[in-house]
Amino acid sequence: MIIEERQSTHVYRQKRLFTKEELEARESLCVHEQPAYCNAACPLKLDTKALTAAIAAGDFNKALALYEKITPFPHILSAGCEAPCEGRCKLCSLGEGIAIRELEAAAVSYGESPRKRGLLRKKTKKAVIFGLDLFSLFLAGELAKKMYPVTVYCAESDQDSLIRAAVPNLPARVQETVAADLKKIDIQFEYSADPVASYTGAAKKYDLICASYEVAKALYPGLEIDEAVMVCREHNLITGKTEGVLGAAFGAKKAALSADRLAQKLDPSNTRGEEGSVETRLYTNLDGVEPSSRIPCDSRDNAIAEASRCIQCKCDECIKGCAYLQHYNKFPRILTREIYNNVSIIMGDHMMNKPINACSLCGQCSVLCPNGYDMAEICKLARENMVYTGKMSLAPHEFALMDMVFSNDEAFLCRPQPGFDNCKYVFFPGCQATAIAPATVRAAYLDLCSRLEGGVALMLGCCGAICDWAGRYEMYEDTVKFLDEKLESLGNPTVIAGCPTCKKQLSRHKTLGIWEVLENIGLPEKAKRTDKPIAIHDACGARGDSATQDSIRRIAESLGCVVEDTPYSGDKSPCCGYGGLTQFTNREVAKKMTDKCLERSELPYLSYCMACRDRFAREGRESMHLLELVYGTSADHCPDISAKRYNRLGLKNELLEKVWNEEVNAVELGFTLEYTPEAELMMDDRMILKTDVIRVLQNLRQTGEAILDEETGLTVTRARLGNVTFWVKFTETETGYLVHRAYSHRMTIQPR
Amino acid sequence: MATEKNYYTIDPEGKLTCMKCRVKLVKGKAKFMYLDNGFPVELPVCPKCGFVYVPEELALGKVLSVEKALEDK
Repeated sequence: MIIEERQSTHVYRQKRLFTKEELEARESLCVHEQPAYCNAACPLKLDTKALTAAIAAGDFNKALALYEKITPFPHILSAGCEAPCEGRCKLCSLGEGIAIRELEAAAVSYGESPRKRGLLRKKTKKAVIFGLDLFSLFLAGELAKKMYPVTVYCAESDQDSLIRAAVPNLPARVQETVAADLKKIDIQFEYSADPVASYTGAAKKYDLICASYEVAKALYPGLEIDEAVMVCREHNLITGKTEGVLGAAFGAKKAALSADRLAQKLDPSNTRGEEGSVETRLYTNLDGVEPSSRIPCDSRDNAIAEASRCIQCKCDECIKGCAYLQHYNKFPRILTREIYNNVSIIMGDHMMNKPINACSLCGQCSVLCPNGYDMAEICKLARENMVYTGKMSLAPHEFALMDMVFSNDEAFLCRPQPGFDNCKYVFFPGCQATAIAPATVRAAYLDLCSRLEGGVALMLGCCGAICDWAGRYEMYEDTVKFLDEKLESLGNPTVIAGCPTCKKQLSRHKTLGIWEVLENIGLPEKAKRTDKPIAIHDACGARGDSATQDSIRRIAESLGCVVEDTPYSGDKSPCCGYGGLTQFTNREVAKKMTDKCLERSELPYLSYCMACRDRFAREGRESMHLLELVYGTSADHCPDISAKRYNRLGLKNELLEKVWNEEVNAVELGFTLEYTPEAELMMDDRMILKTDVIRVLQNLRQTGEAILDEETGLTVTRARLGNVTFWVKFTETETGYLVHRAYSHRMTIQPR
Repeated sequence: MATEKNYYTIDPEGKLTCMKCRVKLVKGKAKFMYLDNGFPVELPVCPKCGFVYVPEELALGKVLSVEKALEDK
């Protein structure tokens, strides 16, 4: 059977992955970009996390630069801010929260502003402020920062009295430092002026008219102020009543934005964006965070120590547990958007194909995420979408799909137990168990036959997970139909699955895990007892199936295993790298997934999915499948891709002969075939099967087409098998061939 | 006449022999095709039977990289 490759790169078919609303709903589940609690509480939107991080790193200049972004008067604000952020600090729930205001004051004390200022041009619209209070002083600073020429008419006679009047409640030393702030800001003061009296004559010389609240009240008794924008619309006057230092600073910020709008002859409410403090949906995991107390920021070092207590609140629960997300270093919201865009591309490169195909579809993210973000579903939908639109190449998945075809064709077996027409049960061990541990499967089947009543049929094949993972929905529908018909022919028995993924895939039928059956009927006598400490790796196929997870632990413990609890076990378990076909599409990510599984414990791993067992063993870890212990049999040690096929076919033939007394005719090749060790390794690495080599050499014997390379002395021949051309380099032996090298390509080649 | 574009050229330099026709391979015109895209090349070709030889280095190098690029189109 050949699986059809996509037709052309020039077919421009498109199907939207999600509606705009669905995309936004999915994206909004990811809170990675939500502001930290302290940041959200600050109406001035100080990047508090960055400020504490800068101080913790000893970079007070950077901390000051961040602080100066939100206020023209850092001394006043850091001395008098009411700091609503501090009460929102996540550490408050454990011990004492970060002394954020003190850290701000430390940034102001120990940081230095850059000498050079940007060369911004002064704006042509001129602003005037009548009367001085803290609000109007902040407003003067904000307007000056926005490069409006600002003039302030105030009753005070000089700068010192002005500062004392503006910030009467702040300590004298802070008042002194305000003078330093004022020096940096270009504000024109008209001292000893009567602000109310000056208004009538002076106001018309300016474009933007502002006033302190007291002056505004004196000018227009009973005036109505829109506090949201700090404007008296009736008189086009920018003013407002504020309370406290933070209130004045925030009021001035809002007023300065209104000034911008009025300067553009726009309504002050126009396009203002989000102002003030906000509610955040951030989630921060405090596991492993110890309670701690505040350190007074009375020195540089103490400020650094206090800032170092900050845990830099963020949500990366999914990334912490997932090698795939770590590899691409993208959090789910951004990954989803990029995948959505990738699917929407009509012409051009689909840069996200690799990430779409590299996800193991294990669903760990949906468990780790506080909002259940499910990247697996998104990646699988994207695969199906691209298969539908003809944009998904067959290349990354073809080997696995052909392996599935082999399992459900040449290596497929479906037989009732001898002596039964209809069976009560059917054992479905799964394609990986038969490929990796045929002796264990045989022992399990014979055991079930001998101890269960009502007959146990056997079905060797693939549950359909492979094509489901590949997004080949039509192939999956065919597989479901095929398996259902076979199960019906057995009288719809209860499926005893040997693999948690098969159990899940076949859950449309009555399905049990073999572990549940074994718990029920008891373990066989020859079960291999051990007193080894082991770590259990939960299969991703058993995510959400606590009955299976618990059953495995009980069986392991009854066999004497000392089970060590590991982080990320149970529903949080990561994938071994086989799931979602990652092993085939992206070996680098698959290896990182395996490493991620193994970093949780130094102990031997006990798993209940044969793919996990095999991948761990390949990384050199002592690894066993539960059924190996139960039946005292060993799986093959890291069988290569050809051995995995021979194992499946061999098991089928052996059982046909021994259990069903059917004669199996061995296929005679008519020639012998040997491989150099280098060729065997090369073929496993290049995904070339020994059966592929046989077919190429059979083609040679029919056509005689081959080339002799005089330089190497090797003969080379080729054959097109399905979508791939395979080349084999060999020397002839007395009875056949010795294969030295093999390679392949998907392009076709022809003379022109 | 304008020179015809070739993406890749390999001259067998008389080191390759077609076992079927018992003649030396020569530099000949051939064409790679993949997903409806064609790439004219010059490769060792049997002048008699037209067998085109794709060397291992070419298959695992240039050919593979072009395949991967086209697969993402």
